Amino acid sequence: MKTVRLILIPLLFLVLPTLCFAQSEKEGFVQTMTFKPGIGFEYFNREVNIFSKNEDGEWVEDEADSRLKSYFLTLSLEFGLQAGFTFTPIIGYSVSDYDSLIFRKLPFSIELDVGGINGYLIGAELKKSLISAQDFEIGAAGQIMYYAGRKQEWSVPGLNVEGSIQGRPYWLRGTIGPVIEYKGFDSVFPYLSVSYNRLWGKFTLEQEILDLTGEEEKKVTGKGAVVLSPGVIYELTGALTLKGEASVIPRKGGIDFGALVRVMLSL
Amino acid sequence: MLMVILILTTAISFQYPRKEKTREFPPKFFGKRLPELNNGRPLVSTGVSYAPDQILVKFKPSLPAQAVSATLSAYRTKKMKRIPRINVYQLKLPEDVTVEEMIYVMSQNPDIEYAEPNYKAYIATNDTFFKYQYALQNTGQRVAPPSIPGAPTGVQAADTRATKAWEETKGDEQVLIAVIDTGVDLNHPDIKNKIFSSGQDFVNDDSDATDDNGHGTWVAGIAAAEANNSEGIAGVAWNCRVLPVKTMDEEGTGFYSWIIEGIRWAVDNGADVINMSLGGDVPSQSLESAVQYAFQKDVIVVAAAGNDSDTVLYPGAYDVYCLAVAATDASDEVPGWSNAGPEVDVAAPGVWIVSLFPEYLTPSGFLPYIWGDGTSASTPHVAGLAALIKSIKPWLTVSEIMTVIRYSADDVNSAEYPGKDEFMGYGRINMEKALVPIKITTSSRQ
Repeated sequence: MKTVRLILIPLLFLVLPTLCFAQSEKEGFVQTMTFKPGIGFEYFNREVNIFSKNEDGEWVEDEADSRLKSYFLTLSLEFGLQAGFTFTPIIGYSVSDYDSLIFRKLPFSIELDVGGINGYLIGAELKKSLISAQDFEIGAAGQIMYYAGRKQEWSVPGLNVEGSIQGRPYWLRGTIGPVIEYKGFDSVFPYLSVSYNRLWGKFTLEQEILDLTGEEEKKVTGKGAVVLSPGVIYELTGALTLKGEASVIPRKGGIDFGALVRVMLSL
Repeated sequence: MLMVILILTTAISFQYPRKEKTREFPPKFFGKRLPELNNGRPLVSTGVSYAPDQILVKFKPSLPAQAVSATLSAYRTKKMKRIPRINVYQLKLPEDVTVEEMIYVMSQNPDIEYAEPNYKAYIATNDTFFKYQYALQNTGQRVAPPSIPGAPTGVQAADTRATKAWEETKGDEQVLIAVIDTGVDLNHPDIKNKIFSSGQDFVNDDSDATDDNGHGTWVAGIAAAEANNSEGIAGVAWNCRVLPVKTMDEEGTGFYSWIIEGIRWAVDNGADVINMSLGGDVPSQSLESAVQYAFQKDVIVVAAAGNDSDTVLYPGAYDVYCLAVAATDASDEVPGWSNAGPEVDVAAPGVWIVSLFPEYLTPSGFLPYIWGDGTSASTPHVAGLAALIKSIKPWLTVSEIMTVIRYSADDVNSAEYPGKDEFMGYGRINMEKALVPIKITTSSRQ
């Protein structure tokens, strides 16, 4: 089921723009494409479930949970494909921190508490207006973001021989849901989105202590599937737009948060 | 026909009393009754102690993470760890605030469910003689009661870190330690619940491996005596069980053929670890084949180096297939009688080690426990560790488990002999390093 979702969400992001283009052509619209390059900063801090493989190769949930904190700087390019329809590819650089992962399948068990690991981000956003009523506009929006951490190496302390471990984290986040936007003001457009959000990740750790080697993989899933995101788009000038958004992710036993700020330039 | 005689590698052997070990057998300690020790109380820590600069705090579940962070900053505390599931924060206090002050202040905050000291807990073994088991936890204590003269005082931390390791695992009852020796007292109160079966006796050719010497019971107790039963001692492998295999006669000697059969029988009857606190001076292809058979069947063989101030005995000297164990004392020093050579893999405490003695061999009015020296005592400490590793990581090969034991040892004689040496091998075993996750922090980055 998780594999199906992993395939479906990226596909959705690929197929939706294609369908929209096809519809535009059929209806004979003549559309001038707009471009808005942007730079942004995003942060999230979420509780995650950790899974390890058992002896039968099945994934089972660890007793201990963890947290994933991630900060990222993004460069985006918003394509206005037609009125109310935008597609925004994103690239970026992230520092992501899995809090205290314990690897017990390696020859020497390891508790990894190494702080943030740098890595690259790639992703895309899609937004389509569907209904306009008076000053309100209802649309649908989705985002997918993939982080690939750089491989890091740490020495293993305390043993009587030299040894090291190498680790590499990944995560994939998908979000899709409706957005309601208020268009009643001149240059400030508040909005609220309620979206379905999933976070998957993995962390691979390799151990090499002279002739003693091992590898262990952890799978990670974010807790909480619904995200409430109030935000605002503020047109500072005709050419400069500021977007700010907060994310609230309720989950069993608490609430997680995220935030986003993006500055976009209209070309 | 193999007619070479093996000698039990312990100082309590009848045949070869050592000059430097002048204690008589059985020692005078037999006059002490259990209730007289520790005033009859279970051996648990008394008094309250906690980390002087830390507290544990639980916030109301409704409090958002950002608010928690802000609260922690307001109190000038630093988050050391958040314990998931139960959502408790381990906090480091500013230097100018005491635990009591911070708890009082935090208890006034409506967002905080509770704040409490980070108390210190102890492994809950209530075994009456545990305080003499310096090999498992050396606090600098005297290693025997005052009624036994000549007992030394230990050096703090000159031990195998067993209590820390037990926080990670106490072993799996499915893991069997075969004790190839003089047999085991199958009804000894401190091990009878840990005996897997009556075993096999290759001396008398029957299926009753009852000990008629005492050495095997002493060895088995070190590896796997019942722990936390308010009685006697704690074995290294709390939950693992013992498979008795008698290959040594009541004089403490045995033919290689008995040993070889014993190894084969133990492997074929489910042993995961074989303890051989014995050895012979002469190599034997048959004996090597037997330990090779065990190795190939993923059974860890741990054997004593010997007590002759000489080279490593066989089968311990079969380096690929066996872990050869030398002795250390309560100060982490190698006694002069511990055999040495390139085949020594690791060392473990083997001086003034208290363990079980068969009830039926104990003189009336004495307790069935005894102190003794020898690499015979060192070996079951290592066998117990091997069983704990096997319990928690059954997927590791025998070779990997042997390597974990070697690499995790503390090179306690590094000042004199840095690195692997002929006296301690890689060093004195450290069960904590072998079992407990090693913490990697940002400072470990290469």
